[in-house]
Formats: sequence, structure tokens, C-alpha cells
Amino acid sequence: MKKIVSAIVWAIIAALGAGALGAIAVHRSEKISATWFVLAAVCFYLVAYRFYSAFLAAKVVALDDTRATPAERNDDGRDFVPTNKWVLFGHHFAAIAGPGPLVGPTLAAQFGYLPGTLWLIAGAAFAGCVQDFVILFCSIRRNGKSLGEMAREEVGKRGGFIAQLAVLAILVILLGVVALVVVNALKTSPWATFTLAMTIPIALLMGVYLRFLRPGRVLEASVMGLALVLFVVVAGQWVAESAAWAKIFTLSGMALTVWIIAYGFAASALPVWLLLAPRDYLSAFIKAGAIFSLAAGILIVRPEIQMPALTRFIDGSGPVFAGKIFPFCFITIACGAISGFHSLISSGTTPKMIQREGHARMIGYGAMLMESFVGVMAMVAACAMQPGVYFAINSPSGVVGTTPEAVATTISGWGYHLEPQTMINMAHTVGEQTLFNRAGGAPSLAVGMAQIFSNTIGGERLMSIWYHFAIMFEALFILTVLDAGTRVGRFMVQEMGGRVWKPFGRTSWTPSAVIASALIVSGWGYFLYQGVTDPSGGISLLWPLFGIANQLLAAVALVVATTILLKMGKLRWIWVTLAPTVWLIVVTMTASWQKIFDEKFGFLPAAKAIANQIAAGKVSAERLGALQRNIFNLRLDAAIAALLALMIAVLIVEALIRWAAILTKRSEAVLHETPYVATQWAVGAEGD
Amino acid sequence: MSKVLQEIARAAKVSFRRLREWCGDAAYERYERAALRKKARLVTPEQFYVEQVDRKYSRPNRCC
Repeated sequence: MKKIVSAIVWAIIAALGAGALGAIAVHRSEKISATWFVLAAVCFYLVAYRFYSAFLAAKVVALDDTRATPAERNDDGRDFVPTNKWVLFGHHFAAIAGPGPLVGPTLAAQFGYLPGTLWLIAGAAFAGCVQDFVILFCSIRRNGKSLGEMAREEVGKRGGFIAQLAVLAILVILLGVVALVVVNALKTSPWATFTLAMTIPIALLMGVYLRFLRPGRVLEASVMGLALVLFVVVAGQWVAESAAWAKIFTLSGMALTVWIIAYGFAASALPVWLLLAPRDYLSAFIKAGAIFSLAAGILIVRPEIQMPALTRFIDGSGPVFAGKIFPFCFITIACGAISGFHSLISSGTTPKMIQREGHARMIGYGAMLMESFVGVMAMVAACAMQPGVYFAINSPSGVVGTTPEAVATTISGWGYHLEPQTMINMAHTVGEQTLFNRAGGAPSLAVGMAQIFSNTIGGERLMSIWYHFAIMFEALFILTVLDAGTRVGRFMVQEMGGRVWKPFGRTSWTPSAVIASALIVSGWGYFLYQGVTDPSGGISLLWPLFGIANQLLAAVALVVATTILLKMGKLRWIWVTLAPTVWLIVVTMTASWQKIFDEKFGFLPAAKAIANQIAAGKVSAERLGALQRNIFNLRLDAAIAALLALMIAVLIVEALIRWAAILTKRSEAVLHETPYVATQWAVGAEGD
Repeated sequence: MSKVLQEIARAAKVSFRRLREWCGDAAYERYERAALRKKARLVTPEQFYVEQVDRKYSRPNRCC
């Protein structure tokens, strides 16, 4: 009887999900409610979790609850800590959810709501969640080893080297591009700049409290920090209204670039307890609060989707970023569907804290489903605003013009009606001087979030407060990624340098720390500078590069997972990791090729066109320097895209050789698992 | 009624404990228990906090 009821319930959930997906896929004429998006996503996730993840857990990786996990075997209360599964789920989700699932879908809304939404939902269930779950499992079975170590052991030395190089490439490009998102959100906005600047003294205050006054009392310090942050969000309005203070905090893109580079260096070189850690605590609480509030807001307001299912920009002529729907929709969405970076978390802290193998399903697969849902919410927030407004905020001035009239004429000409006064009124409502030319996704998402929040609480009166709260939330946790990433990059540079000259590898040695921090900051700082000075806004150049690097790392992780499954004798189920691997290779290779060579939006043809203009004498003397710099940047980006493609090619060859050797039994399939140790914990213990 | 209140109080207590574990507030207590169990030398809360955050931020712990 129980079985029949269960089958009926799951059939209803599946039918609801299929119906909702069908509705958003075929709906064309009238506006569609966001409720359909939430319903489609939630039902799909429930079915995927109940059936597909159960299949992966039982048949593919065969989780074994009788086996002691690294946390049980090595419990030291520091790194290896058996942790309740719900707490660890929260830890893991907080670690994997960064700005990517918010920014990526917002940018991909350029193609319309449909392609991005479908990829967010299906991509997560069949690729992203599989990667996170299987890598978590592999790391648990290897005493919490990192992806790089597993790649070296299971695939080969080159695989390990590629993993390390891909991580470094992602870090540098990611940090450059997320810093650019912050610059575009803060430039000429005294309110937003003041609010974010004030989070630094607040974090320092928390740092001193946590270090000297009440060591480790994170909750007390965070409550205090949160209250202060909410106060400075409100106080930002007073700053913006005061002529003298507004002047101090009204900064150009270039001035913000200098400040952010200096901040990144300081956060990497200063003691971690002083600035980085307290900022991260603050960011984690605000992130959790904002995401839950957005979910609640969408459910309460149920906004109507204004964006069409598909826009005219699927042909690659979009103003937000250049590239056709295939492969750039998948490259742009990135973290909301699959992110290579997650494999570093799944093979980092989480496997050292997991209490039972069985929990890996909920934590690895489930947390990624939740991240995908964050991406769907970002898509809803971006598509709930008028398409004209969306394009006006996200298009660079080089494409749409600089005056409200020019912007409105260009965007209306694309078929998305926009009145100049609409943008002026909207900027006034959110307390900004202008909302034009703010590529990067953060301001448009903030407008979308502010509309949803103000429809729930406060109405238009609170629009400006909600907008600046959303900007502060996005910028705060982007800066947390920036400082944490810079520090990790510094450690990687020190480790690599230490192989050449041993003293350089000592992380506590100040000259080494300063040099390595400077190197990593110069790397992403250059990309940031390139983005700020780029006439097309920078995001259209840099986000696809970041997407390619991120998906490359995911390909590395899936190759490692496929190799391990082969060695485990799971040839029958190999498609679960092989299919997403093949897909990622096709997507990243096509994207790399197009970004380098495509006549419409490739780096090299663009550089050549500018060089031809200069050679023909069509460029004035004052523009010459900027254009030459532009040519250099385009060629540099082409070289990076080529390097990423080369890494994919080497990885494919390496993997194929390895797999052929295993399948033909030319080499022994040696698994580097830690030996079986039976768990001492009874089934049903706390945390189960 | 009192049973319902007791249940609510218990759930609130458990939630608060989980929140402390999630944010790291209870990290020292957890370490103390592990160290006592293994009869290892205990470091002070201050030392533990500094070591813990140093370790945490020397590897990827925040994603994109």
C-alpha cells in the first residue's frame, strides 16, 4: 500500500514538473508568471534527487555506510571533524554558492528566459550535481585528497598538472572579472561605494573582537557586524545626499580599480584573522539571508516574466556579451549548472567532515541542486524587468550610446521598447544618478531583487534601500571571493615557487608572501584594468574566458571521476560521467575556437580590424595609444583561450590513453583508495 | 499545550546548536572534546582561532 501511495505521489510531482516545464517552453504570446519557473525547477529537482541521485548512490558509486569516513578515522577536532549532515550541507552550500549563479544567469538572460532556465535545471541534475557528488565520494574514499592529488594518482602526472594550471587560470580570470562586476556596480555611486567601504572597518572591528576580546565567538561578532552593515546601508543615503560626502565617495571606474587592487593585496598579505575571516563570516550570513529572502519574495510576489522566451540575440549579436546561443549560453551560465571550482570544495573541506558515506548524496548532489535554484531565481529576477530596461543597464555605452535618448532609440530599434524617461525615473527611484552602462549583471540583478523585495515590504518608498542592500550583498560576497581567492592564489604561487627555490615555499616568510601576493594581484589586476578600459565594457571579453576556464576544470574533474569509475569496474555506468565530460569538451572547444577566430566576435579578427584601421590612417593621434592597448589585450585573450583549448586537448589524449590501457588490461587498474575500516558508529547515531 | 511548547523549545535549542556549528561558533568546544578524548595538549581558544582561520583560508574554501 505504502509503495502504491509513493508511486502516485511521485507520478503527480513528475507530471506537475513536466507540465510546468512544458508551459515555460511553449508559452509565447502573453506574459508568464514566475510561479511556473519555481514549480518546474522544484519538481524536477525532487524527481532528480529521489531517482537519479539514488541510482548514482546505489549502483554507480555504491556508498557504504559501514565504512569509516576520513572524519571518523582521523578525528582531530581541527581538519577532520565528524559533522552533522545538515550542518555540513550548510557549510558545503555556503562554500559553493558564490557570485557565479547570480551573475551568469543574469547575463544569459540576453538570449531570453528559456535556454538559460532549461540548462540551469537539466545541466545541474545531469552534470553539475553528478560532478560534485562523484568527486566528493572519490575524495572520501581517498582520505580527503584534493582533486589535483587524485588527478595525479589516478589519471597521470599531466592530468594533475593540468588541474593545477586550470585552477590558477580560473582564479586569475575569475578574480579579474568579479572585481569588474563590483567596479561596474559601484562607479559614480556614492551610496553603494560608502556602504561597501564601511564593511572594511566593520570587518576589522569584528576581527579584533574575535581575536582578542571573545576569541572564536563568531555568532556574537556576526550579529554585531550585521547590525552595523544594515546601519551603513541606510546611512549611505545620507552620504549620497550630502554634497561634501558624496564627492568623496563618487569614484570613477579607474579609481575604484586602484582601490580594489590595493584591497586585494592587503587582504592577502595581512593576518587572516584581521580582515578576511571576519568578512567571510559577515558575508556568509548576509548571503544566506538574501538568498532565502529572494526565494520568499518570488513566492509571495510571483512576478510576471517580461523577457521573451528567446531574443533576437541568439545569433551572437548581443550587446551584453558577444557569442551565439551555442556554446555561449552554457559557458555564460557556468556555476548555476556545472562549475569545475566546486570539485575543489568537494575534494577539500567537505570530505574531511562527512560523518557517513551515505550523507554524500544529500551534500554533494543536494547542495548543487540548491545552487541551481539560486541560478533560477537570478534568472527570474533578471527577466522580471522590462527587456528594454535590462538591456539599458547591461549594455556598454560603446554599443548603445551615452545619452538616455540615444540608449532608448538603439534599444527600441532592437524591438524592446524603452522611453528615455523610464531609465531616468528608475535611477531616481533606486537613489542613483544613472543606471546606464553597468554591465556585469550585479546592478540589473539588484534592480530585479529590489522590485521583488519592495513589492513584498515597503513599496516604492523602500526601493532605494532594497537596491543598495542588494548591491551591498552582491559586492560584499564578491569581495569575499576576491580576498579568499587572492590568498589561495598566493599559496599556490608560493608552492610552485618553492619547487624552484625552497625558501619561497615557506608561506609564513614575509618577503615570499608579499611577492606572491603581488604576483597574483597583478595577474587579476591586469584583467580588471583591461575590463575597465575596454570600450565594450570588459564583461563581454572576460566572462566567456572565465566560463571556458571554469568548464575546463569541470572537464578535468569529470575525467578523474570517469577514470576512477573505470578502475572500479563500473564500465556499465560510465556514461553518467562520460556524457557530461563529452558535452563539456564540445562546449569548451567550440567556445575557445569561436572566441579566437570567429569573424563577428573573435579576438583575433577584432584585433586585426583595429590594426587595419590604424594602418589605413583612420585613427586620431590621441586614440592611437588606447587602440594599440586594445589590440594587445585582444591578442592576450586569444592566447589565453588557445592555452585553455590546448589543455583540454592534452587532457583528452591523456585520458584516452589511460582508459584504453585499463580497458585492454595493458595496465593494471590500481585504485588508490584507503583500506576499508569498519565504522564504530551505530546506524541512527546523531547526524544521520 | 506544555508538550507542544516543550517540543518548540527543543527544536529551537537544536536549531541554535546547529547554527553555532555551521558558523564556527562551536569550533573550539568541538576541538576541546576531540583533544580530551585523545588526551592531546590543548591550545588556548585564541591560539585555536588563529590557527583555524589560517588553515581554512590557505586552500579553496569559497567558490565562484
